[in-house]
Amino acid sequence: MWFWPHQRFSSCSRNAELLIIAAGIGGVTAKLLVVDDEPRTAELTAALLRRAGYTVEVAASGTEAVARARSSAPDLMLLDYEMPDMQAPEVLDELRSGADRVAFPVIIFTGARHSPSDQVIGIERGATDYIVKGTDRQVLLARVRGALRERATGDRVLVRGRLRIDIGKGQAFLASKELKLERRPLLMLQVLAAREGEAVTRAELLEHVWGSTFKGFEHSVEQAAYELRRALKEPGWIETVRGIGYRFVTQP
Amino acid sequence: MASDTGSSPNPELPAALHRLRSTLARLKAELELAETDGAVPPTMRLLEDVREALAHLGAAEDASQRRGSVLVVDDDARLAEITARGLRRLGFDADASSSLRNLRAREVLIFDLSLLEALDAAARQDIRASRPIVVTGATDAGSRALAASLDASDYLVKPIELEELAAAINRRLAEE
Repeated sequence: MWFWPHQRFSSCSRNAELLIIAAGIGGVTAKLLVVDDEPRTAELTAALLRRAGYTVEVAASGTEAVARARSSAPDLMLLDYEMPDMQAPEVLDELRSGADRVAFPVIIFTGARHSPSDQVIGIERGATDYIVKGTDRQVLLARVRGALRERATGDRVLVRGRLRIDIGKGQAFLASKELKLERRPLLMLQVLAAREGEAVTRAELLEHVWGSTFKGFEHSVEQAAYELRRALKEPGWIETVRGIGYRFVTQP
Repeated sequence: MASDTGSSPNPELPAALHRLRSTLARLKAELELAETDGAVPPTMRLLEDVREALAHLGAAEDASQRRGSVLVVDDDARLAEITARGLRRLGFDADASSSLRNLRAREVLIFDLSLLEALDAAARQDIRASRPIVVTGATDAGSRALAASLDASDYLVKPIELEELAAAINRRLAEE
């Protein structure tokens, strides 16, 4: 944890240095792309994020955003909803172009607090979060961190006792025997094992394993847990935490 | 999904717009004075005015669309944030917190029952007045009685499906 000195607009240069050092300790090195057709809004948002230690690029239109994201994908995009050339849903459509999800989190910046129909379109098209313009910067930074956390996958190979999960190859082994697992149970195993000993809520599993689809989730999570246990054959690795979710426990 | 926003005039709207204009006028006067005097404007005060103006604007938005915002309070901060994020994707203006704060007008409170013990009588009274949506990990009679004592508008048992929560929020909003 590092703290953000509230309401310090003056004497910025010294604060900025301190913040960059603090951010370095926290390991913030993500590259963000801020998209807004209004140059002052874009630059102010970029400045705020740079002070928090992020590397920030700016695009001034939907077309430019798509072109930049294709030549070099950012770790996160902050996207203005309403731009002259494209609206946010169209940008999301372009970014997906066939794939089922956008490869990086997208936070939509909107001027409207209540626009249910637009935002529902956002869910279907893969927006990670929404921020209403004028939201306090601490909240904005917290949502950026939250969206980036969602993306972080951690180590490529996880070892827990006799269990080895190779995330890059999409394989899991118990002792030397490969477990036959579909993609989602495997992802679930990975999320649980990464947080060994901790009760992981169904909501979190859903978010990490199933992306943004919430429909019928309880059943999906339970089904995946069932498949995991069946593949592992030994009891104890995956505990049910009643009313909350599941916990990974390394077995001897 | 969001409920119908309705179209009949809402008495809260003119009041919110009036307050918004007053705050903006004060902000303008402060800046004009600084300009005339060649002085540095009082940054902190102006910033406070801008925050206040945004709050009034929020009240006007809520009044014009007959909607409100949502506050998710859960002692598990990550769960609160994930829930709020999910609600934002569903079109709600949702905030997360791991402790109770003052509620805004028309704000719907989603409250984890496990936090109740730590609260004093005054805070319990505030919660009661807000007709919260109560969320709990337990299904026992004691929990249900506690929820009833809070005059809860809905009682949901974890794990909660997001659509179920959205429906409860819409029911709560429709009561007004």
